[in-house]
Amino acid sequence: MTFRRIGRGSLRLLLATLFVAPFLTDVLLAQEAVGAVREYGDFPVIGARGAVWIAAQVHLLFAAFVLGVPMFAIGAEAIGIFKKDTRYDRLAKEFTRLLVIAYSATAIWGAVLVFFLTTLYPAFWGHLASIFEVSMWFYVGLFFFESFTLYLYYYGWDRWKLGRAKLGHWGLGILLNIWGTAVMLIANSWLSYMMSPPAEMTPDTAPEMVQFWSAFANATWMPINIHRIIANVVFGGAIVAAYAAYRFLLAKSDEERAHYDWMGYVGNLIAIGALIVLPFAGYYLGREIYEYNQQMGITMMGGFMSWLWIIQAVLIGVLFLAGNYYLWVGMGRIPGAERFTPYIKYMLVVLVIGVIVWATPHTMIADRDELAAMGGTHHPFLGALGVMSAKNTAVNLMILTTFLSFLLYRRANLRPTIAWARSGTIVQGLLFAMAAAVVLFFGIYGYFVTAIVRIGFSVYQVLAVLTAIVGVVVLDVFMARGAESRGEIRWGQMPARSQYALFVLVVTFTWLMGLMGFARSGIRQHWHVWEVMRDTSPWAATPALGPAAQMISVCVLIFLVLIAFIFWLGGLIEKPQLVVRLRPDDPRVGERDPAVHGSELDFLPAD
Amino acid sequence: MLATNLKILSVVLGTILFYTYLAGSIPQVESEVPAELDLSANVTAEELVAAGEELYAGGGGCLACHGTGTRAPNLLEPDGATGLIGERCGQRVEGMVCKEYLHASLIRPTDFVVPGFDPIMPDMSRTLSESQVWTLVAYLESLGGEVTVSSEDLAASAADPAGGATAGSAAPASTTMEPMALLEENQCLVCHQLGDQGAPIGPPFTDVGARRDVDFIRSKVLDPASVQPAEGYEALAGTMPTTFGTQLSAAQLEVIVQFLAEQR
Repeated sequence: MTFRRIGRGSLRLLLATLFVAPFLTDVLLAQEAVGAVREYGDFPVIGARGAVWIAAQVHLLFAAFVLGVPMFAIGAEAIGIFKKDTRYDRLAKEFTRLLVIAYSATAIWGAVLVFFLTTLYPAFWGHLASIFEVSMWFYVGLFFFESFTLYLYYYGWDRWKLGRAKLGHWGLGILLNIWGTAVMLIANSWLSYMMSPPAEMTPDTAPEMVQFWSAFANATWMPINIHRIIANVVFGGAIVAAYAAYRFLLAKSDEERAHYDWMGYVGNLIAIGALIVLPFAGYYLGREIYEYNQQMGITMMGGFMSWLWIIQAVLIGVLFLAGNYYLWVGMGRIPGAERFTPYIKYMLVVLVIGVIVWATPHTMIADRDELAAMGGTHHPFLGALGVMSAKNTAVNLMILTTFLSFLLYRRANLRPTIAWARSGTIVQGLLFAMAAAVVLFFGIYGYFVTAIVRIGFSVYQVLAVLTAIVGVVVLDVFMARGAESRGEIRWGQMPARSQYALFVLVVTFTWLMGLMGFARSGIRQHWHVWEVMRDTSPWAATPALGPAAQMISVCVLIFLVLIAFIFWLGGLIEKPQLVVRLRPDDPRVGERDPAVHGSELDFLPAD
Repeated sequence: MLATNLKILSVVLGTILFYTYLAGSIPQVESEVPAELDLSANVTAEELVAAGEELYAGGGGCLACHGTGTRAPNLLEPDGATGLIGERCGQRVEGMVCKEYLHASLIRPTDFVVPGFDPIMPDMSRTLSESQVWTLVAYLESLGGEVTVSSEDLAASAADPAGGATAGSAAPASTTMEPMALLEENQCLVCHQLGDQGAPIGPPFTDVGARRDVDFIRSKVLDPASVQPAEGYEALAGTMPTTFGTQLSAAQLEVIVQFLAEQR
């Protein structure tokens, strides 16, 4: 690779980002004047890799936030429009206000990342720019559209709040999501190219010979897109829930507590609801990685990263347990929920056993001494639990159990009035039982077939669970029509301990994103671009999980501190407006209380 | 308010510390970079074995499969009556001595798939240098056998980096235009079945002409990744050798392509 190639590639990119970093052009021209570009730069104390790691991870966490929250916002706004429930509209606006600030943080960290890459990994960055320069131009262009659509969306909220104008405003929200998703798709193509470049590429392939589209739409691009979109929804919901939990704990009035209790519930519902389907997207991504390159797949699941999945299992176990715990505690404020209380202990048993099975190590790298100490390649008893058959069975049953928790929560204060209510409940029960039976059958049968056949069984297990979920939800929607209420949900009457579960959830989600980022990036090992461009820097060796975990924790802390600052800043800009629903004959209807502990209360009649 | 904030802070920091501690308390395995070897002409067998052992357990990534016994044979343990890999390697393929077999298995792994295992091993010459491959051969020979790799093998590799150091790894020099002979010479039947010949690992050749046209077959032989894997064989994607474009002459390639297209 010659200097001129790198220099011109970088130059084109930098020209495109002139509005962000005009001075870098001079730096690059100076490099061209001096001579050959260096391969790597250095960064004090933490090294070049550490600097890029932190910049990339924190940028990605903010990016997930600013992509996840708009999805949350248009969903909430739509409910507000079509169900005529202004609580949702206020909720959407409250979070869009935070978006405006979070966008700046995202852009700042993105600029930090670009500067670090251009100065610390100039040759690698030149390689990427040579192939993706056009998409990089589009990328920065989309930022303009995205930013100004966001400004219109937020600042036009109160101006376009009625009739067709409101629908137009909602359309702006959709447009904001489209721009944001397009930005994400472009960035995903760069990182997925690093994992799965076109198969015909070799270390000798000149970047200008690579067909743009084959590099852009590479083998892992779409699976990562899907996985990230769902994960962003999960993350957005978790952040919303944590924000609500914080406001709930500091609330000084029952109305505030009621509002933020409800907000926490909505955030958690979205986070856990999307989390349920996330493993399926994960399977798809893993499968595509294996299909692209067996060695990479084995490195990911059974190589030096094999222990990572045990840590991941513990984290996801925490998510399932904390999410369900929040729901179970929340049933205490729902009249009628007490009839389901006896079943909670059984669901807890299923979840705990599921976590234990999922977190059982198997097929770990072992040297001769370790093999001798273990008495073979696997543990004599626990080895049977660690195989994919057992783990797939465990995770599918955990998903079914969590879905059952949601169903019980949803049904807690309803008394269906339709004639076929009992039959419907029996059919729902049968769907659960059939899904569990299919999952268990293939879980056990998987022990008696070859690996390739066994891998295929996971599809049947997933389909059985998805079928049950869809079937039960459809039935439930019809069964809930015209249902009688067993009593109003007592929003705000929630023990404080439940709110700490929401903090555990958001920290765990954030840490898990850092861990999965390490996994995705680490499976390339000592390659910038897999089997195409070797990492010859002093930091080429991929660290073990211990040091990686320390880096992840640093990134998570930086993000959480900044996001807390943004929340505080958001509170300075505008007081949140709360809505309290009252009986129509309540004398306070139509009033506004402007001085309730940093918020404003609107008293509106119940729908 | 302060107490609540402190509680929240404790929960957040406690959760982060717990995960950090957990990840730090499990066995720590780093993915090393395969060390570039600078072996002199007087390199000893012990030096080769030591370098190979380090590569096997580290940057070579061999333990990921060959240290478990589930995905691939565990080369660190005896295989029943045939003993350790250093003992049994010379008996695996008739006419191939131990180091030829091991070397060929590393750079053309799908040629010698052990029954009961899938052909998932990558061509190690894509990620390791010839010297590194030879140190692995030396290390594997040392496990129960005699180390026969010497500096001459390394020198021969350096002179012929395409991999012509051993008979086992050389590209076929055959000029035959007989399709069945070409299929056998190029080890196609190791994975594909034709009539009662070959192994049913990859898609069968028996009716391939009815399922695929000439262009598809040619593309598949020259660049397996350029076409979609056959239905039901997706898990084997990436395992077919990509070297036929250099192993076969243009005329030989067309003989194979036309022959396969006629199998209906």
